[in-house]
Amino acid sequence: MDAGLLEQMLLGALLGLSVYLPLRCGQLSLATPGFFAIGGTVAALLSTREPALAGSGSTYPITSVLLEMAIAAMLTGVLAMGLGRVVLRLRGIYLAIATIALVEILRVVTLNLEFTGGALGIFGIPQPFDSAAGYASFTLALLALICWLCDRLEKTRPGRAMAAIRDDDLAAASQGINTADTKLLAFVLSALVAGITGVVAAHFFNSWNAKLGNFDASITTLAFVVFGGSRTWLGPVFGGLLLTALPELLRPVGDLRLIVFGVVILVGPLFFPQGVVTPELLKTLKRRIRLPPTPTAQGGKP
Amino acid sequence: MMRRLASSLAALLSAAVTLSSCRGSDDQVLVNLSKGIPVGAVLALTGNANVYGQDQKIGIELALAALNGAGGVNGKPLALSIEDGGSAEPSANAAFTLQINRGMLALIGPTLSQQAFSADPIAQRRGVPVVAPSNTATGIPEIGNFISRVSAQSSVIAPLSISKALQLNPSIRRAAVIYAQDDAYSTAETVIFQQALTAKGLKPVTVQRTQLNDQDFQSQITAALNQKPDLVVLSLQAMDGGNLIRQLRELGYRGAIVVGNGMNTPNIYPICQKYCDGILIAQAYSPELATPANQRFTAAFAAAQSRNPKVSPIPPQLTAQAYTAMQVIGEALARLDHKQPLKGLSVSQARRALMDEILGGTYQTPLGEIRFTPEGEVIQKNFFVAQVLMNAGGESGRFSLLP
Repeated sequence: MDAGLLEQMLLGALLGLSVYLPLRCGQLSLATPGFFAIGGTVAALLSTREPALAGSGSTYPITSVLLEMAIAAMLTGVLAMGLGRVVLRLRGIYLAIATIALVEILRVVTLNLEFTGGALGIFGIPQPFDSAAGYASFTLALLALICWLCDRLEKTRPGRAMAAIRDDDLAAASQGINTADTKLLAFVLSALVAGITGVVAAHFFNSWNAKLGNFDASITTLAFVVFGGSRTWLGPVFGGLLLTALPELLRPVGDLRLIVFGVVILVGPLFFPQGVVTPELLKTLKRRIRLPPTPTAQGGKP
Repeated sequence: MMRRLASSLAALLSAAVTLSSCRGSDDQVLVNLSKGIPVGAVLALTGNANVYGQDQKIGIELALAALNGAGGVNGKPLALSIEDGGSAEPSANAAFTLQINRGMLALIGPTLSQQAFSADPIAQRRGVPVVAPSNTATGIPEIGNFISRVSAQSSVIAPLSISKALQLNPSIRRAAVIYAQDDAYSTAETVIFQQALTAKGLKPVTVQRTQLNDQDFQSQITAALNQKPDLVVLSLQAMDGGNLIRQLRELGYRGAIVVGNGMNTPNIYPICQKYCDGILIAQAYSPELATPANQRFTAAFAAAQSRNPKVSPIPPQLTAQAYTAMQVIGEALARLDHKQPLKGLSVSQARRALMDEILGGTYQTPLGEIRFTPEGEVIQKNFFVAQVLMNAGGESGRFSLLP
């Protein structure tokens, strides 16, 4: 497989996780491309306009990329916190519409601002890596870190609170869970993931424009989670990897490839309404593999 | 369990990263001539730019047939591989990378300028010659020394149609400008149109903005018509532009319409039908150019289209430019093979030498005689202004050259 495609898949997995985080809390937020676009624009602006970040070597220093990530995370985090307080009072489809509005506002603002390059966008973004394989290794490390954090989240108090809110908002509140703060936490985490993913994507795509964070991207990223499953973090990662790769892997099919791709997206939810990767599937797999019982240190004796 | 699955996923992905970075370097691999000389194209065959990609595909295939029919490159045939670059950047990047990894000596594409800003740097870094058949934005050859284009930039062509409109009707006083504010091509070209209008003393009385995927333009048209324009200048792509012209005429506008390069395709005929009639467009190609190269091209095009009587037998500009791009690569390869046989060259040597050869040549093409500047910008002698004339039924029409 080509490293460039792998990098796009990993970016897809990260965006899938960003949609998954609020969904764990039962919040259908489509704001991911908005925060993704903020991250991308921050990286594009800083790396092309700020000579102090350029460094002296032939490639753009990785420390500058990390700095861009920090700034993007700060910006998206603050925005998500302020916005989340307001929009998270909405539920279900109303929240989805409010977040679509955010994506649209950001897009139109980007198109009309002089310094973001209008519709043409910003191009000539410097490269921190010589090859796509460098990007893929970096993004893989980032994905592993975020997956690990998601895994931890599922096992800790805030994570369990999120699951409780997803199952029943009222019941969770009556158990003493601060539902407003927990939802906000999930929303902010989602924004952070999307923001730093945008930074990597801007460098990888060489150019950045408003089209990369539009409503179409909201739907695509939502499809990652719907297809992969929203019960465990493996679902969106799987959905993001597969659905990004599929149009490219289907190239030998020729003109029919997008039709086949559409059929796959259709068949997924039809046969796996909970997504392909569910806790039940993981349990079944566990039974099939029949893990040997873990021997204890004392060899079973007290 | 979860952890085990996660760690195996991580292992799989890291293995993929390692594998993908172990590809043989192009410095050591010889050019693979087993199926012919590998040349690639990345065109927008899907998405909203597919109307352009389809035109381009015909042109490239006609040029391939002409080159291989005349003996290929010193007896060796050219092996063309066309990939769909979609209408967005990620798909164009993926297609570019795929073609480069396949060992293509040169690439034609991508269709849109916005895609070029994203995909061309990949080719530049890997040292692969790119001949762009349709990128008209400013700054494309400046991406790097491996990037060239046969499509003249819009700043050269667009003003010609304004002059022609004024020449046809000197009483024009009030110009309205409409463009899609979320489209790179539209926003870049409208600036040039507006400068040209202002230079002629016709400062636009109104500038209306649309979106690329809009279907309904009532509000923009009403706002424009309130200013009583006698010239409407559009920088829109084929789909939205065709729809807007239709609605503009339906709402009663009778004055002149000048359109930009985005509508430079016969694929607009089915969209605006009889309402396309009379629109003015500046072109980098005229089917009526009486040179042997163009006559061969128009004859080949007419023969290829004769199977479908509904389609116009007259080639559009995008097809001619794509044909030219393929011809340029074919002729440059032939000259290179004479000097240094391709057989003994490594892929990266062949690509470097081919780029020098492309920029160094002079070509007798359907566009007329063309050359390149050292940066890779096309030098073309003739530009034209055409008017769309539709048939009585409004089903088909042609771009008729204005004297």
